[in-house]
Amino acid sequence: MLEIEKIFKKIIQRVNINLRDLGFDVSPFVIGHVELEQMNKFYAFYGITSDIPLNLKFTHSSLAGSYFLGKCQVTNSLLYKSDIRGDELKRKGCTFQYKNYSIELTEDELFDISTSALIKTLVHNFSHDPESPERFFIKNTLSLDYANIHGSPCDGCFLGPFATIDLTSMRDCAIGTYSYVQAGEINHLDVQPGTIWVNSPGHFNFFYQFPADKLEPYIHHIAGNKPQGLLVDFIDSHKESFNKVFDTANVEDTLQVPETASLDRYAVVQPETEICENVLVAQRAYLENSYMGPGSNAQENCFIINSHLQGCNVTAHGAKIIEADLQQNVFVGFNSFLHGTPDSRLSVGKGSIIMPHTIIDCKEPIEIPAETLVWGLITTLDELEDNSISLENLSLVNTSIQKKNMHFEGRGAAFVDAFNHRICHILEVNGAFFHQHNNNVKGHAQNNRKLSLNNIQPFLFGELQGVYPNITILPPREP
Amino acid sequence: MKKHTVKDLMVPISEYATVPLGTTLFDAILALENAQENFEHGKYHHRAILVLDKHNKVVGRISQLRVLKAMESAETDYSHIEQLKMYKFSDAYISQQREKARLNCKVFTNTLLKEAAKKLVDDFMQKPTPDEYVSELSELDLAMHKMVAGAHQSLLVTQEDDIVGVLRLVDVFTASFHAMKELDIS
Repeated sequence: MLEIEKIFKKIIQRVNINLRDLGFDVSPFVIGHVELEQMNKFYAFYGITSDIPLNLKFTHSSLAGSYFLGKCQVTNSLLYKSDIRGDELKRKGCTFQYKNYSIELTEDELFDISTSALIKTLVHNFSHDPESPERFFIKNTLSLDYANIHGSPCDGCFLGPFATIDLTSMRDCAIGTYSYVQAGEINHLDVQPGTIWVNSPGHFNFFYQFPADKLEPYIHHIAGNKPQGLLVDFIDSHKESFNKVFDTANVEDTLQVPETASLDRYAVVQPETEICENVLVAQRAYLENSYMGPGSNAQENCFIINSHLQGCNVTAHGAKIIEADLQQNVFVGFNSFLHGTPDSRLSVGKGSIIMPHTIIDCKEPIEIPAETLVWGLITTLDELEDNSISLENLSLVNTSIQKKNMHFEGRGAAFVDAFNHRICHILEVNGAFFHQHNNNVKGHAQNNRKLSLNNIQPFLFGELQGVYPNITILPPREP
Repeated sequence: MKKHTVKDLMVPISEYATVPLGTTLFDAILALENAQENFEHGKYHHRAILVLDKHNKVVGRISQLRVLKAMESAETDYSHIEQLKMYKFSDAYISQQREKARLNCKVFTNTLLKEAAKKLVDDFMQKPTPDEYVSELSELDLAMHKMVAGAHQSLLVTQEDDIVGVLRLVDVFTASFHAMKELDIS
């Protein structure tokens, strides 16, 4: 048995042991889907910059096609085309506020990934676990294609394809395909596919369940098969463009990018795209024939095609915007799929919030009014009525409201405030407000310009093929 | 005053509506109708059906309310509401949603009535609890206490290990009232 197979077998066993109470077996979802023979075909790469602490340690792991930035250790793990982005990890001396506790960090935070398999997964932000402020752990965990682990330490968990866990400490949980969870802390939960859950205990609780039959054409994952559906087909249809940027040693600059904006070397940009000031385009983002207004961003695995983003638009990890016009300050949440067509364009009014994991697949032109919260699955104007509420009306809710499959309990104003605060914070750390206020404090858009990238390779032959040598990468020191 | 035992007032099981496990809701109601037609014990009709296993032991009971509940729940699937508990919605919110779903539920449509008719008694019968049994030799006092304490509409009457009859609330009530009338209270 190859070493990589032994590592994978051990990971599956560890995850299954953790999920035994749920009776959840990950094997049928990964065996046959995760192709270990692919693991020696792609190099891994890491970013270096003077602004972010560098400390990488890889031990007995495979890292195929994955990207690392910041402080990270990976042990006994398989990472395939995953992004481990440590530009928002907490720094030594800073204070992390958790409820009434001000927790001071005694060292720089690090990602600690052990006995885990992450497939095309994004890991970003910082640990929100007050018990582990300096260590963002991902342990005995398995995540599949286009999952997002965002500010969420995980121990003994499974994330299905396109699942997102956000600002939540998670132990012994299974998060179903295309589910989004932001709930602070969860244990021993089996979250069904297509569940959208945002809970802030004592303040508000938002829940939406996609009808299984309606979600199926877009994304489903049956045990024994690979993930299938329009979302997968859409991404696959753009695969070739990414192969080109990853296979080329030096990419030619064909696009004028302002000095305050950054375009990652591993992003794809097709004509006629315009990038304005303070724009951030992350690796594995795809832009085509679109306008990225000042302060907008396209994060990892985003697609923006034939669209106009007026400015300060957040396109969160994995979101896709096609044939759409977004006015200022529109937020499009994780893995959302906004799909207009030339005959049925989508327009989104100023300040609207598209909830994470929302699908808008226009069968007719759809216009979303300004300051509206939108969720779920929408293909017509009637469905928009069932799956949206104005932020003003939501702010008036003091007990509960239900619309079709959406349930909300708590104070609507607290929900709106929390979202608006977070969107503002995202724009700030991404550098959208550089030069406007904030004493010229730079964000990712400005800092990423100073990033350089190095490649590392695995063993190509023999028992260790696909596994990387044990490597430690540190900043230079005098001998 | 006449002292009754349970045996004096019970309806023998042979006169009661009984159906085996595996019977549909519709056939169970037909059995009840049939039992009512053949029953000449006073002016009160049977209101329940007993369910027997393959050894003719009573394993469940179906009251009229139970039948209506089975018909009502033919359409209402509360699973999507029940799951809200897992997602930390309050008990008050969940019961409000359950009530809303019940009120919106249609029962009297051809499709749903047909669907309900096919339900098996096994799925909606009520299994007897230990306080629903009373010996045929017991005095009526004990039977009355059990009915009041457990809010039971009837009790299953035992003869050693066998069920030999059903003691109905209506018969206990009538006997109590007659006993009171005999006292010539004015």
